[in-house]
Amino acid sequence: MSWWKSLFPKRASDAQMNSELRFHIDELTDENIAAGMSPGEARRRALLEFGGQEKFKEEVRDVYRIRILDATVSNLKSAFRFIRKSPTFSAAIILTLALAIGANSAVFSAIDAILLRALPFPDADQLVRVDQYNQKTSSPLHLVAPVRLEDWNRLNSTFQALTGYYSEDVSESTGSLPERITRAWVSPRFYQVWAVSPVLGREFTPDEETLNGPAAVLISDRFWRRRFNADPNIIGKNLRLDDHLTPIAGVMPPSFLFPNREVDLWCPIPAGFSYGQARANNWFTVIGRLKSGVTVAQARANLATVQAQLARQFPKTDAELSVDIEPLKELTIADSRRSLWLLFGSVTLLLFIACTNIVALLLSRSAQRQHEISVRFSLGASRGALVAQLLTETFLLALIGSGLGLFLAAAASDIFRSLAAELPRVEEIHLDARIVVYSLACSVVVTLLCGLVPAVRGTRRSLSASLAQSGRSQVSGRNPLQWLLVGIQVALAVTLLAGAGLLLRSFQQLGRVSRGFDSSHILTFELSMNWGETGDMKKLRQFTDRILETLRATPGVDAAAISVGVPGAPFRYETELKLLEGRAETEPKLIAENRFVSASYFATMRILLLAGEVCRETDGPPTLVVNRTFADNYFPGSTAIGHHVQSLNLGYSGPAEIVGISGDARETGLDRAPVPTAYWCAPVAEPGTFFLVRTRNAPMTMAETIRRQIHDIEPQRSVYDFAPLEQHFSDALAENRLRTILLTFFAATALSLACIGVYGTLSYSVNVRQREVGLRLALGALRGQIVKQFLWQGLAVCILGCVAGFALAAASSRLLAGLLYGVSPSDVPTLSAVILLVLVVAAAASLIPAIRASRVDPMQVLRDE
Amino acid sequence: MPTEKSDLLQGTLDMLILKIVALGPVHGYGISMRIRQISKEVLQVQQGSLYPALHRLEKRGWLAAEWGASDKGRQAKFYKLSAKGRKQLESEESNWNRLAGAVANIMQTAQ
Repeated sequence: MSWWKSLFPKRASDAQMNSELRFHIDELTDENIAAGMSPGEARRRALLEFGGQEKFKEEVRDVYRIRILDATVSNLKSAFRFIRKSPTFSAAIILTLALAIGANSAVFSAIDAILLRALPFPDADQLVRVDQYNQKTSSPLHLVAPVRLEDWNRLNSTFQALTGYYSEDVSESTGSLPERITRAWVSPRFYQVWAVSPVLGREFTPDEETLNGPAAVLISDRFWRRRFNADPNIIGKNLRLDDHLTPIAGVMPPSFLFPNREVDLWCPIPAGFSYGQARANNWFTVIGRLKSGVTVAQARANLATVQAQLARQFPKTDAELSVDIEPLKELTIADSRRSLWLLFGSVTLLLFIACTNIVALLLSRSAQRQHEISVRFSLGASRGALVAQLLTETFLLALIGSGLGLFLAAAASDIFRSLAAELPRVEEIHLDARIVVYSLACSVVVTLLCGLVPAVRGTRRSLSASLAQSGRSQVSGRNPLQWLLVGIQVALAVTLLAGAGLLLRSFQQLGRVSRGFDSSHILTFELSMNWGETGDMKKLRQFTDRILETLRATPGVDAAAISVGVPGAPFRYETELKLLEGRAETEPKLIAENRFVSASYFATMRILLLAGEVCRETDGPPTLVVNRTFADNYFPGSTAIGHHVQSLNLGYSGPAEIVGISGDARETGLDRAPVPTAYWCAPVAEPGTFFLVRTRNAPMTMAETIRRQIHDIEPQRSVYDFAPLEQHFSDALAENRLRTILLTFFAATALSLACIGVYGTLSYSVNVRQREVGLRLALGALRGQIVKQFLWQGLAVCILGCVAGFALAAASSRLLAGLLYGVSPSDVPTLSAVILLVLVVAAAASLIPAIRASRVDPMQVLRDE
Repeated sequence: MPTEKSDLLQGTLDMLILKIVALGPVHGYGISMRIRQISKEVLQVQQGSLYPALHRLEKRGWLAAEWGASDKGRQAKFYKLSAKGRKQLESEESNWNRLAGAVANIMQTAQ
C-alpha cells in the first residue's frame, strides 16, 4: 500500500533515532571520564544529564506526527463549523450528492449482484448449460433427450457430471383447495452438479433416484415459508401431488432458485424411466459441472467428439445434432448486460453533472470567502494547508451525501424489482460492504473532482491582495470557468435526454406497431396439468373440449382458444419443414416458427384469414395454416395451399396439408417483425398451454367467474395466472421499460441540475454586476436591453452546450442502436425536440435572474457605494 | 563552572543551530558543545529541545543529514546546512540584528 505511505511525510525510524541519541550519551560519558570519573559513574551522570530518553523520542516523533494529525482534526472541526454556519448551502450540496452518489451506488449494486458476482452456487464458474441443436435449423432447440444425457455422462472426460431437468405444474391437494405449484423433475447427479445441500433434512438417496424406488421431494425455501410457515418439523410429512403421497425429504436454501424463482419443489426422475428412452424425445435442459481447470472450449471439443461417436452409433436420430456449451452465468445475465451498463453510464454522467454543479457552487462560495482566506494567508498558513482545509470541507459534504445515498442504494433491490420483476438475480441485490466501499470511493472521487479546482483557485496568492480591499471588491462578472461548467452540464444533460428520448420514442413505436391480432379484451390463464396426462390423448382431447365449451358458454365471453405460448410474447419454436411434394436444392429451406393452436385461435385473436380455410380439428389427416410471410417467401408466385409439409424435429406431427393462409401477426414479440409461421392445429391442452378468452368487458372482471366455472367441472385442477394479454407484453418488455423509466428519470434530474446551474451562475453574475447595471440604468439604458443582455449570456452558453451535447449524443448513439425499435439512433425529430426542450428550460432559468437584473434600483445601488 | 545559565529566547534556538551548522557538518552532541563553548557556558541547550529542533529543521528542508563516523570512530548523524537553510539563516540573522540593535538602543537610551 504505497499510496498510504505517501500520505505521510518521511519519518525518522526509531532505530536511527536511538543510535543518534546513544552517540550523544557515549560522548557525554567520555567527557565525564576525561573529567576524572569512574566509567560507571560517568555513564550514570551522562544518562542523568540527558534525561528521560523515551520522552525525548516521543517529542522527536511528534515533530513528524503532530502536524498531520492536528491538521486533520482541526480541518474536520472547521469543516463542521463551516457546515453549521451555512446550512442551506451545505444542504443543497449534500442532497445533490446523496441523489447522485445514491443513484450511482444503487445501479452499481445491481451491476455488482447481477453481472460481477458469481452465481450463488459453489464454484459457479464451472457450471455450464449444454444444448443440442440441429445445424439445419437456424434457431436451436436446446432440449436434450434423457437417454442422450446418460450417454454424454458415460462418454465425456471433461465434466464432473451432467444433470437434466424439466419443470411442470402440479396440483398439491393436502390443503382445503388444490394449489398449483411448480415442480422441477431432476435427473440423477443433481447434487454433483449443483453442490448445494438442503438446509433442513437430507438429499435424495440412491434408492429414490432409481426406477420404482421410494418417492421423495425437496421443497424450496419459499414454499416452505409460504405453505408451512417455516415449520422445522416438516421433514417426513407428506404432500399430495396429483394424488400421489410424497414425503418431504428436505428444504433447500433460499438462494437455490433453479431453474427459476417460481420453483416450489424438486422430484427425482430416474434414468431408466420408460418414456425417456426414445432418442428423438428431447425435453431435458442440461446443466453440467466442468472438472476443475477445464475450459469451456475444451469441454465443447470433448463433447463434440462424444456426439460424433453417437452420430455413428445412432445415425437416424443423432447424425444432425451438434452440441453447444455456454457458461450458465452468461446465459442468465446476457440480456441484462447492455441495459445495466447503459444505466450505469447514464447515472455516472448524472454524477458528473452533479459534480460540475457543486464545483460552480463552491467557486462562488470561495469567492465569498476570499476575505477569510486572505486573513489565514497573512497569519502564515501555507497554501497546502488551506487547500487541505477546503478539501476536507468538500470531503465531509461528500461523505454525508454518500452516507445518505446509501439509503437509496439499500432500496435498490426493491426499486429494480418493482420496475422489472423479470430481471435475473434481482433478489441477490443487497447492500453490503462492497457497496459501502464503493460509495466511499465515490465520495473520494467526488471530493477530488469537485473540491480541487475551487480549492486551488480559491487560494491563489494574488487573492491575498484582496485583503486590502473591502467586501465590495471588484470581481469579474465574466467568470469563464463557471460558464464552462454550465456548458458541460447542458451538454451532458442533452446527451442523457437524447438517450431517454430515443428510448421513449422506441417504446411509443412499439405501442403503435400493427400487431396483426387484436390484443384488447383477451384474458389468459393456465390450468395445472402434468406430462403424465399426455399418455392418453383421447381423454385429454375430451378434457380440452369440455373446458373450451364451458368457457364459450359463459356469459360475457365471446370466444375461447388454446395456444402453446402467448402471441406477442417471446416464445420461439423454429424448425425446418420438409415439403412432401419435393423442392429443388437451390430453393431456400422451409424454416418456420411453429405455433400449436386450436382452430378457434384465429377467430379469438382476430387474425385475418387471407385465403383458404382454418385448420380442421378432426381425426382425419392433419392440416395447418401458414402466414403470409411464409407463403410469400417460400411460394412466391404460386399458392401455398394444397402442399404437404412435415416437421423434421416434431416427431409426433405427421405430414400435414396447408389449407389456409393467415395475415401476418407479431407472434414472437411485438418488437420482432413477423417470420414465416406454421400454425398446427393442436386441439389438446398440454402443461404450459395458455387458455385465451375474448371477453366483452375488461378482461380481469371475468377471472372469478371463469375460475368458478372451471372448478365446477374440474375440481382437482387449479386455475392460475389470470392476466390480460397486454400484461404479457408489458412483462416481456420489462427490461426495456426499466431502462426507459430509469434513463428518463436520470435525464430529467440532469436537466433540472443543469437548469439550477444556469440559474445559479447567472444570478451570481447579476449580483456581482449590480453596480454596473445600476450605473447603466442611471445613464439611460433601457430595462429591456438589460434583460436581453443577461438572457443572451445564459442562452449563448446553453446553445454551445447543446451543440456539444448533440455531438456527444451522436457519438454515443452506437450504444443505443441495439436497444431501439422503429427509430434510428439519429432520429431528427427526437433530437430536435430534446434541444428545443433544453433551450426553453434554459431560457426560463435565465429569464428570472435577467429580469431581476433589470429591476435594480440605480439610486439604491449607487447610494450603497 | 558558572552557576547562572540563561534560557534561550523562544525561536532563537533554531537560528543558533543553523548558525553552528553553517560552520560545517556537525552532529547533535557537537552542536550542544559548541553552543556551550562559544557562549562561554552561558547558554546550555537542553537535549530535550535540541533533538526535536534538529528534526524539525531537517523536515523543513533547512538542514540535510547524513550518517558518518565521528573523530572517535563512532557512528553519528551529521547535519549540514541546505541552500534553503542558508537563506533562512540570513533572514533570521538580519532580523535578529535589527531586533537586538533595537533592544540595545532602548536599553541605552532609557538609562
